[in-house]
Amino acid sequence: MALGWWTRTAHYFWYIVREFTAVPLALWMLWFVVEIQRAQNGPKGYYPHSSTGFVIFSVIVLLFALYHSTTFLSLAGVILHFKVFDRPIPSRLIVLSQFGLWLVASVVIAFVLVYFGR
Amino acid sequence: MPDKKITVRATRFDPDKDEKPRLQSYEIPFPDESMVVLDALNYIKSHVDGSLSYRWSCRMGICGSCGMMVDGVPKLTCNAFLRDYWPKAVTVEPLNNFPIIRDLVTDLDDFMHKLKSIKPWIIRKQELPLGAGEHRQTNEQIDDFRQFSQCINCMLCYAACPVYGLDDKFLGPAATALARRYNLDSRDQGLKQRLPMVADPDGVWECSFVGECSVVCPKGVDPAKAIQQTKLDTTMRFVLPYGNRE
Repeated sequence: MALGWWTRTAHYFWYIVREFTAVPLALWMLWFVVEIQRAQNGPKGYYPHSSTGFVIFSVIVLLFALYHSTTFLSLAGVILHFKVFDRPIPSRLIVLSQFGLWLVASVVIAFVLVYFGR
Repeated sequence: MPDKKITVRATRFDPDKDEKPRLQSYEIPFPDESMVVLDALNYIKSHVDGSLSYRWSCRMGICGSCGMMVDGVPKLTCNAFLRDYWPKAVTVEPLNNFPIIRDLVTDLDDFMHKLKSIKPWIIRKQELPLGAGEHRQTNEQIDDFRQFSQCINCMLCYAACPVYGLDDKFLGPAATALARRYNLDSRDQGLKQRLPMVADPDGVWECSFVGECSVVCPKGVDPAKAIQQTKLDTTMRFVLPYGNRE
């Protein structure tokens, strides 16, 4: 296959973008570990607003993470198949439930971070 | 009003004479809006160049013989209307990811071998005695596997799959969909015999869910769904206690 096979169709291209999102996410995790290490001496020694680069990079990586999560959860209806009283649950309902769980988890985590980070 | 014409560029390759495939252009009449690419190929063979080689049979989208690349997209040529390409030229090439035997004809041995390996037939541990009558199935039991039974082995999915293009050891979409079709059939008891092929690293786990196989499938089989569901099923069988039951 030609090296540029992924440029042949839009579907291939967005598939590669989806797979590529793992790279910035992994880089962000490494940078995050560095930031945690910098904060090890407590709030007095750590000034998050001085890590402007980290904040900007986080926003960019957030976009990648949102795209990755959206594509993954959208495919849940294809992967998961359940039956209730011998009737298959529609894939649209399964996808909606995944996004719903994502929303709930995000709210809970945000609450925990804000409440205990005050 | 001048007669309408269309240019068809078809791959020509004779392994005894040519070093590599080339495209040859044919300008043919296009009098009927219902003409498909297969009609164009048949016209070329009958009236222009009898040496052009290609496979076809039913010409109505059920046999799967006439799969080719039409403007870079795997299609059944009996289902690709010339009106969707006119007035531009149509490029017809052999299916991607398969060796070319001649012109538009590809070597399908790899798929045939993989198809046979997943045992695409009802496997019974014990046949029912004749007196017990036929196997009965409810409509719901048939609905479980109906979609995956629609596969016509046209191999458009293999031509569309970049994973298969990069590694031809991959079991592939159609073979996995057919394995799932039989595994889901209530009459079948052969899941354990198929597991070594589908649960292999070159089986379902080679798939990274590009999904193009399902996009090009002309029968709505959704082989990507079959592969992902098989991944989930084989994992649950491995993880759950007593999961490896028949």
